[in-house]
Amino acid sequence: MLKAAGTTAAVSNMAAVDVLSQPALASELASQNKNVILLWLAGGASQLETWDPKPGRLTGGPFAKLQTSIPGVEISELLPKMSTRLDETAIIRSLNTKIADHGQGYFLMDRGRVPEPGIQFPHLGAILSHELGQVDSRVPDYVSMYTSTEGRRQGSAGFLGARYNPMFLTDKMVPEDIQRLESLSDADHQERAALRDFLAKRFVRDLKNPALGSHENAYERVRGLMASDHLFDIEREPKSMRDHYGPTQFGQQCLIARRLVEAGVPFVKVARAWWDSHGQNFETHRELCADLDHCMSALLDDLKQRGLLESTLVITLGEFGRTPKINGSLGRDHFANAWSCTLSGCGVRGGTVFGKTDPDGKTVIEGEMNAGDLFATIFAALGIPHDKEYMVGSRPIPIADFGSEPCSEVLA
Amino acid sequence: MIPATLKRTNEWKSKDIVFCLTHDAESQRVWLGGSDFGVYEFDTSSEKPERQAFEGEGHTSYVTGMVRIGQVLVTCSYDGRLCWWDVDERKLIRRIDGHGRWARAIVASPDESTLYTVADDMLCKVWDAKSGEPLQTLQEHAPQTPHHFPSMLYAVAISPDGQWLATGDRVGHTAIWNTDSHDKVGELETPVMYTWDPRARRHSIGGIRSLAFSPDSKELAVGGIGKIGNIDHLGGPARLEVFDWQSGTRRLELEDNKKKGLIEQIVWSPGKEWILTAGGDNNGFLTFYDADSGELLHQDGQNAHIHEISAGPDFQQIFVAAHEKLTRWTMLTEKPVAETQDGVDSGAKPTAPDGK
Repeated sequence: MLKAAGTTAAVSNMAAVDVLSQPALASELASQNKNVILLWLAGGASQLETWDPKPGRLTGGPFAKLQTSIPGVEISELLPKMSTRLDETAIIRSLNTKIADHGQGYFLMDRGRVPEPGIQFPHLGAILSHELGQVDSRVPDYVSMYTSTEGRRQGSAGFLGARYNPMFLTDKMVPEDIQRLESLSDADHQERAALRDFLAKRFVRDLKNPALGSHENAYERVRGLMASDHLFDIEREPKSMRDHYGPTQFGQQCLIARRLVEAGVPFVKVARAWWDSHGQNFETHRELCADLDHCMSALLDDLKQRGLLESTLVITLGEFGRTPKINGSLGRDHFANAWSCTLSGCGVRGGTVFGKTDPDGKTVIEGEMNAGDLFATIFAALGIPHDKEYMVGSRPIPIADFGSEPCSEVLA
Repeated sequence: MIPATLKRTNEWKSKDIVFCLTHDAESQRVWLGGSDFGVYEFDTSSEKPERQAFEGEGHTSYVTGMVRIGQVLVTCSYDGRLCWWDVDERKLIRRIDGHGRWARAIVASPDESTLYTVADDMLCKVWDAKSGEPLQTLQEHAPQTPHHFPSMLYAVAISPDGQWLATGDRVGHTAIWNTDSHDKVGELETPVMYTWDPRARRHSIGGIRSLAFSPDSKELAVGGIGKIGNIDHLGGPARLEVFDWQSGTRRLELEDNKKKGLIEQIVWSPGKEWILTAGGDNNGFLTFYDADSGELLHQDGQNAHIHEISAGPDFQQIFVAAHEKLTRWTMLTEKPVAETQDGVDSGAKPTAPDGK
């Protein structure tokens, strides 16, 4: 009945890590009520047309730069609304992640490390839903909205187990198959649940096994998820709020993301493709940046107004950036040697620009940051020790890649 | 004058992208603008031609359109400015802020008294070519696409008789205007050129990129790209539609899957025998269609997207503005087939239009 991955195979995989045996630790972090919204710019947005403009250079393209509300900080003219909203945002202009292939780049920027044989690393959403979610939560821990096809990969929670896989929405903006079967009346449904609870509690009482608690939890979560479909219904928002986010699907998904984090969902991913602008890069960014600029601004404003921005980290990220060199189709190709991302809100020193690229945007000349360092910074912003280790069997796996360090300059 | 062969006779490489150009057939001087924001003269008659930059605080973004009126060049740019330049002095004469957003194209009326520009503020503006005074603003094109993204106004063309003006936008809408009254007198739709993908990508890449009236001003050719499989590349067929614009009847609907990409410019032959289209994807094409039947007559290409061409009155030479290069092509035409007893082509060699 329920396709959402968060409820499948919950028992065995959850037992593999330590959350259920240490519920106090999980709830300690969860009590901080921190959330993350990842705006995933699938295909790779151009840093030159967003956060690191180079007007006047042959690599710079046709767009001008805008002075922002932060003295000395300029971003592309394609982001006029964000130019007045950088008080809560840190721009990182010095990512050098080296891998400029969609599949491998996705893996790296989704997990913060390159693959290793013999171990299935979890993706960022799984880690953060594990760290920030509540064991007894009645809402999803991880919702991923990915309605476009470019780079669509559900990903795997790896050694954290399927419990931390996302509720993955690809066709519609509301989860499918979480409704009660029509053939089952509500009364019948309630009575079945009560009977199952009665029998299960007696069974658990006599057998002291933590795995059984997890089994019970899974049923509770199913009931919670079935009751959470209203979170995806933006018609419940006032028209003024729907207008605030705008009519595009990305805007509507950002509004859903806010509703989800407000209800306690710790990690929401909103993927917006088609940034892979090998042809007509400037037309593409004229089109998509307008959407990003409006929706990101609307989201930050709304979170701030509701007092949620202090506890919600908003990330813009993709697989990589785009080449300074403009190709024959007026496009830019894949480029991972000097690109940008942003962190806004929770734990972030707003108004910061970290790192610097050369005048043509071809290399990082200050503050080079790799994927592991970015992940360590994200964890630190959320109050999660970046050197925390998971035990996978007898092997300790640090939550951020080996040797990575958070960037203190962008942290509050 | 049927094109038989095209020969690329010269190629001059550059670091920038050449977006627009015009030339003087007699002196072989070319004027061009591009991605380094500059305007240049390039004398192709010299043994080693070098760019001569025009002086003055002109444009601050890509130079996208250019017309020459006697000894004056007028350029438009993504900075929204229009600049008048003295050709002999190679100096800026006048600069005005013409549009609030990217200016995409500029054309002059046949009598060279009036200029028309289109830009992403979705306006077509009418200017006195000599004084630069604004004369009229034509408003028709929606600022947003039906899917709530910014639209773009790419193309403008004026009819050879000077009576009609056409403007074409990103969603495939063309408006036709009376140049005296500035009233809209017609509209055409070419929705395939929008290329909006509603499901997988929620993105478009096409639009009407070129317009051209037939020599008798009765027909309008509309150029763009057809349905694209992979929208992150220009992997769609070059698409040309020809209308009897007054009745709205689509007479030709042509797609070329061999040489793909956008049709950036359309030129009718003076006798209305053929239509030349230029453009491309990562590579460039020059394609001649029979204007009556739509049959592909001749096609050639180069390894760089073509943004604009400048052909002399006899089409003997075609200068091409392209990605990081300027090229010159020579067009040869067939002699009429000599009458033979069995009606077979006598094998006459192609010759240049002037008969040399």
